[in-house]
Amino acid sequence: MAETPPPLRLKSQKFREARQGDWKALNAQLDRADRKGLNGFSVEEILNLPLLYRSAMSSLSMAQSISLDRNMVTYLQALCARAYVTVYGPQTRVKDILSGFFARDWPGGVRKLWREIALSVAIFIVGIIAGWMICAHDSSWYANFVGGMSEGRTPSASAEVLRKTLGHSEKDAMLSPFAVFLMTHNTRVAIMSFAFGILFGIPTFGLMLYEGLQMGAMLWLFSSKGLGVEFGAWLSIHGTTEMTAFIIASACGFHIARRLMFPGDLSRRTALAEAGKLTGTVMIGVALMLTIAGCLEGIGRQSITEPVFRFAIGGVMLTLWLLFFLFVGRTRKDPAKKMEPAHG
Amino acid sequence: MAKAGAMSGKKGRDLMADAPYGEYGRTASEILTPEGVVLPFINASFGERVGAVVIDLIIMAVAPILMLIAFFLLPIHDLFTDKHNRAALEILWISWLFFTFFIRSGYFMFFEMGRRAATPGKRLMRLRVIAHDGGRLTPSAVFTRNAMREIELFMPLGLLFTAGASGGIIGLLAFLWALALLLLPLFNRQHARLGDFLAGTRVVHMPKAQLSYDLADLDGDRNLGLTFTQEQLAYGEMELGVLEQVLRDRKASVMKAVADKIKARINWQAPKNPADVPPDEAFLRAYYGALRAYLEGRMLLGRRRKDKTFS
Repeated sequence: MAETPPPLRLKSQKFREARQGDWKALNAQLDRADRKGLNGFSVEEILNLPLLYRSAMSSLSMAQSISLDRNMVTYLQALCARAYVTVYGPQTRVKDILSGFFARDWPGGVRKLWREIALSVAIFIVGIIAGWMICAHDSSWYANFVGGMSEGRTPSASAEVLRKTLGHSEKDAMLSPFAVFLMTHNTRVAIMSFAFGILFGIPTFGLMLYEGLQMGAMLWLFSSKGLGVEFGAWLSIHGTTEMTAFIIASACGFHIARRLMFPGDLSRRTALAEAGKLTGTVMIGVALMLTIAGCLEGIGRQSITEPVFRFAIGGVMLTLWLLFFLFVGRTRKDPAKKMEPAHG
Repeated sequence: MAKAGAMSGKKGRDLMADAPYGEYGRTASEILTPEGVVLPFINASFGERVGAVVIDLIIMAVAPILMLIAFFLLPIHDLFTDKHNRAALEILWISWLFFTFFIRSGYFMFFEMGRRAATPGKRLMRLRVIAHDGGRLTPSAVFTRNAMREIELFMPLGLLFTAGASGGIIGLLAFLWALALLLLPLFNRQHARLGDFLAGTRVVHMPKAQLSYDLADLDGDRNLGLTFTQEQLAYGEMELGVLEQVLRDRKASVMKAVADKIKARINWQAPKNPADVPPDEAFLRAYYGALRAYLEGRMLLGRRRKDKTFS
């Protein structure tokens, strides 16, 4: 009768003893991934990680229903949270991100914004016409519209001086830093006009209109001195890319404003999250376009001075952008729909 | 039957929601992972978020200053006084422009698109950005949440400085708008700011938890001879959690107070012989083990007891 009774164990204790080896292994792997990333992992270890993760997740859901050991449940929650952000972390393969972005998400996103793009283009054109007409009526408005960015392009300047500002002069140094400055400035303006969408799009509207007014005023100035074609050439080499980017950026802002004001069947929060996802993708593309525009401005403007070539480059860029946005990444389900243009 | 299961499931989540990860007074966002498990993440508190952003702003302010000091301390700027080094100067100037642009507009995006999904400030505060829908954190979400920072943080900060100077009704309105945007995270449970809502992201606190030893030792308790009747196990899961915390902290005064309280409530008869009276810790551990065994047994049958106020 001296035999000892079998050890008393709770189910939750047996559960813990059977599984804690896996938890500790996963914890060690996560510590390593935190410190050095996944690069040092062997193939087996990489393949093992999701298995350990899934086993920890199943341990957690089980522990929550059989165990009242708070320390263990807490530990499992923290472990699973860490494993989750490692397994579903921000890093996908760069190749996948790039191909998905260029071949599908970016042009597709732009096409979805066609209404807002039409609105932006309309505002821009109205701005150009208004800027031209206001300046033609009273040239003192020019300073208000163009202001600090004029670099000596004022109504009082002679045609010769104005011609010089279009890059017919000898190489003046420090132009490429200036191009970089403009690029960073433009990117910030684009981000602002996107972010301003959350204020019901009113500041976005103002920014777009202002861009148009500025453009109209400068067009008026140069054409009134007989330099319209040269100015157009000077502008188009990078301007077609830059203006397209601005128009898309403010379309993103308007999209947010629209979803904020008219969320439709969704809750406002869901609608905004959806809008943010779509426009975020498009805005990364806009930043890319502005970088390209900056390069064109820094290199192209300096070395290419013939108006014909400038027009050619600007035109080619515009055509490329339009083709890209209109046709890349379309699904071929509905061939009839493929033919009709997505832009307004 | 199904209804009872659902009820107990909901109750169980309530229990953990009271103190996610054992941290009282904090709320959790429940994220449904692709495996179908509900994983609670502790929401970052307003204080943590402010702390993180202040650290980041300090880094953003100090980094260019350090660069400038380095530039003026090092003898390189003598190189650029003569005209032959124009190209070098241009390159330097361009990299400076890119650097300031990165600091001003790319800092948050760069770090949050990285492996840890956190800026240095967030990392110090043990925070990280996650996608609210349980999926991956995409670059577009990071871009959106940080683009919104322009009008949520930088413009209001600028306005706070200028509005005071300009005064007037416009200044006051701008000031109020700026303040409202800055304080928005205070007015929702998850302390999310506008950019988080727009990008579908949340900022969460990632504690580092240690797996401690199991407190229940039924064999040891049996040898001590401490047993309790079912009527004496008159507490619920919440009290069990508190008791666990007390036993892990092992503060003598607290353990004595808790033991006295429990003894009074359950009407515990101490052994006549003073030598047989167990020390407070042994008593509490035995009570913990018995209560946990009893409550876990109920739990397996789907009859959970939330706290001592059961009927």
